[in-house]
Order: sequence, then C-alpha cells, then structure tokens
Amino acid sequence: MTDPPRPSSVRRPRNSAWPSPGALILTALVVIGVFAFPWLNPGYRALSFAVTTGITAIVLYGMAIPFGQAGIMSLGYAGLMGFGAYTAAILSRDFGLNMWEAMPFSALIAALAAGLFGLPSLRISGHHFAITTYVMCELLRIALINGGKFTGAATGLDLPPIGTVFGVKLDKLSNTYMLVAAFMFISMLAAYCIANSRYGRTLRSIRENEQLARSIGVNANMHKVGAFMVSGLFAGVGGDLQAYNFRHISPDLYGGATSLYFALMVMLGGPRTLFGPLAGAIIVTFLPEVMRIDPVDSRIAYGLALIAVVMLLPGGVIAAAGRFYQWAARTLRGARAGASSTDPGASWT
Amino acid sequence: MVTFVQELVNSLSVASVIILMGIGVTLIFGLTGIINFAHGEFLMLGAIGVWVLVGYGLGYIPALIISVAIVGLIGFLLERGLFQFTLTRPNNGFMASLGLSIVLQHVVIRIWNSFSKSIPEPLPGVWEIGEIRFIKMRVVVVVVTAIVVAVTFFTISRSRYGLALRASLADRQTAALMGIPIRRYITVIFTYGSAIAGLGGALTIALFPVTPFVGSEMIMLGFAVALIAGLGNVAGVVGAGLILGLVNGFSGAYGTPEWTNAYTFGLMIVILIFRPQGLFGGTMGPAIE
Amino acid sequence: MATLEIRDLRKTFGGVVALAGVDVTIRSDEILGVIGPNGSGKTTLFNTVCGVYRPTAGTIHWNGVDIAGKPAYAIGRLGLGRTFQQAMSFPALTVRENVQIALEHGSRREDRAGPQWSSAEELLEFVGLEGFADEVTNVMPFGNLRRLGVAVALGGRPAQLLLDEPAAGLNEGESVQLTHLLRRAHELGVGICIIDHHVGLMAELCARLVVLHFGNKIADGPTEDVLNDPKVVEVYLGDVE
Repeated sequence: MTDPPRPSSVRRPRNSAWPSPGALILTALVVIGVFAFPWLNPGYRALSFAVTTGITAIVLYGMAIPFGQAGIMSLGYAGLMGFGAYTAAILSRDFGLNMWEAMPFSALIAALAAGLFGLPSLRISGHHFAITTYVMCELLRIALINGGKFTGAATGLDLPPIGTVFGVKLDKLSNTYMLVAAFMFISMLAAYCIANSRYGRTLRSIRENEQLARSIGVNANMHKVGAFMVSGLFAGVGGDLQAYNFRHISPDLYGGATSLYFALMVMLGGPRTLFGPLAGAIIVTFLPEVMRIDPVDSRIAYGLALIAVVMLLPGGVIAAAGRFYQWAARTLRGARAGASSTDPGASWT
Repeated sequence: MVTFVQELVNSLSVASVIILMGIGVTLIFGLTGIINFAHGEFLMLGAIGVWVLVGYGLGYIPALIISVAIVGLIGFLLERGLFQFTLTRPNNGFMASLGLSIVLQHVVIRIWNSFSKSIPEPLPGVWEIGEIRFIKMRVVVVVVTAIVVAVTFFTISRSRYGLALRASLADRQTAALMGIPIRRYITVIFTYGSAIAGLGGALTIALFPVTPFVGSEMIMLGFAVALIAGLGNVAGVVGAGLILGLVNGFSGAYGTPEWTNAYTFGLMIVILIFRPQGLFGGTMGPAIE
Repeated sequence: MATLEIRDLRKTFGGVVALAGVDVTIRSDEILGVIGPNGSGKTTLFNTVCGVYRPTAGTIHWNGVDIAGKPAYAIGRLGLGRTFQQAMSFPALTVRENVQIALEHGSRREDRAGPQWSSAEELLEFVGLEGFADEVTNVMPFGNLRRLGVAVALGGRPAQLLLDEPAAGLNEGESVQLTHLLRRAHELGVGICIIDHHVGLMAELCARLVVLHFGNKIADGPTEDVLNDPKVVEVYLGDVE
C-alpha cells in the first residue's frame, strides 16, 4: 500500500515540550520587569493600581482554563471572586482567620460555586449559558445586598490588615505588590501547566469537537464542570487577596458589569496565550489609570478595541502581536515561497 | 380594591416596556440568531433621544417619532456594518456586542453625562372612572404597546409574509436556494426589533427618569422574558411579560422590592435548564448550519 | 471475540419512526456491511447503539453488558468505537494530538479490548499518517482526514468498530487504500461493521450484509445471497448489478 502524499508547503508548528529560547527570554524579562516595578518609584497611585491589576490577572488566568481551553464563556467570574472575598471577610469577622488561613476556604467555596454556576452549561449552549451566568452573578449581588448583618448588606464588610509574614510588613504597599506579583506568576505558571497537560488537551478536544471526544471515551460533562471548578480556585484566591487589599468589600464590586469587564479583558488579551490575560488586565485596568486617561474615554476605547479584536484579531492582542512578530521575523530573514503558518501565532496551545 | 386596580395599571405600564424589549429580543435572537447584548442600549438611546429633542423644544410626539426612527437607523447600520458578519459565528457577535454596549453607554456619558435625565410629563393628569384614577401617561404606554404587539403578531406570526420569514430563517440554506432574500429579512427584523426597543425607551422616559445605564437594567429582563416564553414566540412574550410585570409591580408595592428582579432571573435560569424551549414553546435560536 | 446484540431496537423522533424494531447480531470476527436506501435508518442505528440517541424501545447488549441508554463516552470506553458520516477530527489540533486524546481516554479493558497501541507513533504508522504527525488537521486533504477518523477510532482500542460511510467522498484509489486499512485492522482483532453505498466495495470487503429499509431489516446473510435477494434488488439495488 502506498503512503498518502506528503505535504510540501505547509509549515509545521514547532514540536517540542519546551518553550523556545525567545519565549523564555521574554518571560524572564516580564518577570524581572514586574518585580522591579516598585523600585522605579511609580508612586502610591500607580502601585495601588498595579496591585489591583495583578489580582485581576489571577482571576483571568483561571478564566483561561474553561474559556481558553474548553471554549466555554462565563460572565460570572466577578461573582466567584465575590464568594472568595466574602468568605475571607466573614471568616475574619466571625472566626478571626487571617488572609492565609482563609485562602483555602475562599478557594474551595469559590470552586464549588463555580461548579454550580457551570452546571447549566451541560444543558444550554454558548450564548444562552453566558447570559445565565451573568444573571446568576446579579442574583448573587442581590442576595448579598439583602443578606442583612451576615453579609453586611449594601454597605459591605471590613477587613483587618494582612499582617506580617516572616517579619515582612505586608500592609506596606510595595510589599503587598510583591506578594500579589508572586501569586500572579504562580497563577500564570499553573494555568500554563494545566493547558499543556493531558488534561488541557482533553479540554481542547471538547472545544474542538465535543461529539468526537465523547465517542472516544471523554466524559465531556465531568470535564466541563471540572474546568469551571478549577477556574473557581483562582477566583477564590483572587477574592481573598482583593478583600485584604481593599480592606473593604461591598456587593457592587461583584455584579454582572464587573464580570463583563473580566470577559472583555481576557478576550482582549487573548485567553490562549501565556501573557494574554496579564496583558488584558494591564491594558484595561492599569494603563488608563496610570496614563490618566479619562475613564469614560478609556471605556469607549476598550469597547471598540474588543469589537476590533473579536472581528479582526482572533485570539487576542498577544496572539496578534505574536503573529506580527513572526511575520516581521520572516520578512527580515527573507520569506520562503509558500511558507505559511497554520498555527494562530504565539499560542501556548 | 381601588389601589389594586391602580397598581395593576402601573404594573402593566412597566410590563409594557419589558414586553417591547422582549419582542425585540425574541424576534432578533429567535429568528435571526444574532445575539445582541447591546439591545438594551437601543432602549437607552430612544430615551435619551427624546430627552435631547424635548430639551430643544420639540413636542413629545414628534420627539418620539424622530427618536425611534434614529434608533431604527442605528440598528440598521449596526446590522449592516457589524452583525451581518457574525451570522456564521454567533459567539463572535455576542462578544462584539458586549463591547458595543460598553461603547454606547459611555459615548452617551461622554456627550452628556451619567446623571439621570427626565422630561416634563407629556400628558399629565389622570382619568377618573368611578373611584379609580388612571394616570394618563401610563395608560397611553399600555395602549401603544398593545398596538405594537398586535401589529407585530399579525405581521410576523400570522401573515404569509411572516410565515415565509420564519420558515426561511429556520432553514436558511433551503430558503436561499428558493431565492428568498434571507439577508434582507434579517436586516428588516433587526432594524424593527431595535426600533421597538427605542420606542420602549421613548415611552420609559415619559414615565420615569432614565440614566445611561437603563439599558443594562432592562436588557436582562428582556432576555429573561423572551427566554422564559420561548424564542420566536411573540404571544408568549406578552404572556410572560404580563406575568413578570405584574409580579414586579406588586412585589414593589406590597412585598420585597429588593428581591423583585431575583424572581425573574431565578425563573429564567430554571426554565433554561429544565425547559429550554420556553414555557410556551419556541425555538432555541436557529440552527447554525 | 466480542458480540453486539441488538434486539427489537426502536427509535422514533416525534412522529418519525427511524428504527422500527431491528434485530441484528454483530460479531467481531466478521466484517459486516449495512446497506440500504437513504433514510432507511442506518446512521440512526449506529447513533442509537453508540449512545448519541436514547433508544425508544428494545435492548442493546455489548458483550453481555446492557448499554441501552448509556452515555456515549461510557460506551466508547467499553470498547465499542465508531466513525462519523462527516469526516470528523479535532480541527485546531495536530494529528498526533488527535490520536493521543483517543489513546488517553479509550477502552481500558485489556481482556476484551482491541489492539493495545503502545504509542501515538505506532498507531499513526499503522494507518500510514506518521509523516503528518505535526500537521494541524483543519488544513489536511480530505483523504487524510478520513484516515485520521479511522485512526482516532482505533486509538480508543475498540474491540468492535462501527464505521459510517468511511469512504464517502474518496476517490477510487483512496477507497481501495481504506479497505486495505480496514482489513488490516480486522486482522488485528477489531470487528468491522461498515455502512456504505458503494456496493462493489461492500461486496469485496464484507462477508455478510444486513439491509435496512424504512427502519426495518429486510435481509441478513452472506453477501452473495443478499445481493441476489429479489426484495433487496427491488428496494435498493435496482436492475444495475
């Protein structure tokens, strides 16, 4: 029997378990840049926004798993973060637990909530499900407002400072920043490992062709709910950090509108690239505040940017940047006739 | 008893606006498959348009007509310029519409501001029948909505044109092969649905003050009503809208106002999970391919 | 040897009766063909057996286990595999990843399962796609896509494979290659049951044929006999031999 004809002009994506040297260098630069930031004397305001951006990025890396890998969009992440934050606040108020002690609880409760929020996705399709999650997030917000003394009602709850760890005073802002940056990189690494694992591959198979995946033994339902629960862990940790960072939380932080911004950030940056979620958080949360752009103008810009990205730049800004880089590199090296990439740019999966 | 009937009419007027939103959603979402999260912004633009025009000295009725026409035009342009490219990939359309709703809200805030806006009552006063006093404007809202519903129902649900429309949107490939201008139908439906939302906004501002965020508040109710009733089912939207409007109104007057929206949302989730085709039966959106 | 016993299987969709009580026994030691006019229920039969649809009535026993109404993934894990009428793959993933997923999730029952591939490479070599391991499947030529469909199904380590028109859209040469592949798979111990319209191909490949017509089985026996059966000729084959 003869072999099937071999392709000649289609370029293959790099097949290696390790990232390329270029990617490693870039990652190192980013890590150094992020940790060096406080030493550039950015000022209290910028540092404060940086902390918020970092916490947001943690949640976004969680979103990258059900959304980027399994392809299911949820507009409920602010609510999941809220579960984490309120758990931390209530545990602090009623049981005296500090941020570290509360963290596993925040993560777990948010994960359970995420599993619950995710169950409808088994019965209803993409956009219906997204609307359902938005609505569930709003329901949570209403429940929090009406929770009386337990949830602090519309006023919300207060929290004590983070305290000291190994002699490091964590309520000093630059130290908080370092802590958050560390958590953010851990989230990035965790999301990367999950995406490139066997589990990540299974999730991608569900996104690519659910019926085929089922026929070869993939329990799609379990994996979908599981992916949501994993993302809930990230959101819970983010909520715990946010609660202690802001020292005060209220229901309006965790409504549908905030979830929309999370979705916007992750789509803008790109859910399937290593730096996508971080870039999305920076572009939407950090840049405009630090550049003192009028918040109204900046939101108009994001909305337009999102439309542009969705219609023109699939995969987000980072993926487009990756494609541009590859195009530039090829052009500078001298293009080979017929060479074309079939992979959407600097995607990690 | 008197209060009851008055509350009834008040609730009906709120229900009317929700019904107008719901009709737009059910027609657009149910028949064309375009999921426009920014649909609520059409309501907001209709309201703001009336506010602006009345502010320039126009009478309420001309302001309403012009405003609705402008919103319809905006809808037309958006369909042609954006949504028509997302027909084969509706999730893209959904995500783009998220961005669109943010843009529209904030453009309005930029040009005017984010504070609430209102107009002088276009039709002040009450009608009295026996002991019951009906606020005139609210009655007008209900009547106008009833007319729109009737027109929509008979055009789309009953007429031959409507039948061809629904059939062709359910099976686009066959319809295209039969020479039916699908794209044109989609544009018509989208424009009509948007204009109706604008009308809802124009009526709303005659009743209450409005902020640039009124769209987000109403869109969820509109989606809820359309999904609970069943997509594409105009009569169902009326039924569901009436029930929910009444629940909302009475809960506001007698019960627990904070939880009002929660009932609607909760019911929507339950229906979506256990009976996705809606209470009264409808499509779940046209099949893609 | 694995057996699939289908008894009085019915499937209705609203008012439409797709399967009107079908009795078939499928053994993994033979190559069975399923033929019939369009709309006779062939694909519905596969879909119902493999858990895509729930049967309206009737029983399905796979190696003695009642699988009627089980979810599709559980049936896949029990060693009953299938391919689809449209060429299916995981479009944005590479060929290697496509079969890796099958290998990672397929049947684990070594006593009854089919060939135990030790790696993705081994499986790709078996089907002849090893040169394409790093190709992303959404740009592959159709013939390769069909092969990949068989490879993915084989990756699930099935003891029995149900193939729905695996040669549809292939040219003469590619069809022949596909039948050789299926024969070699059968030699490895995988039962082959195949729906197709190409009577010549079926006659060549299958020892036994089952004919469906409006959801009923109208013939079941050795290929030669079935092809000469007057009922079958009238309903499906026509006068063309």
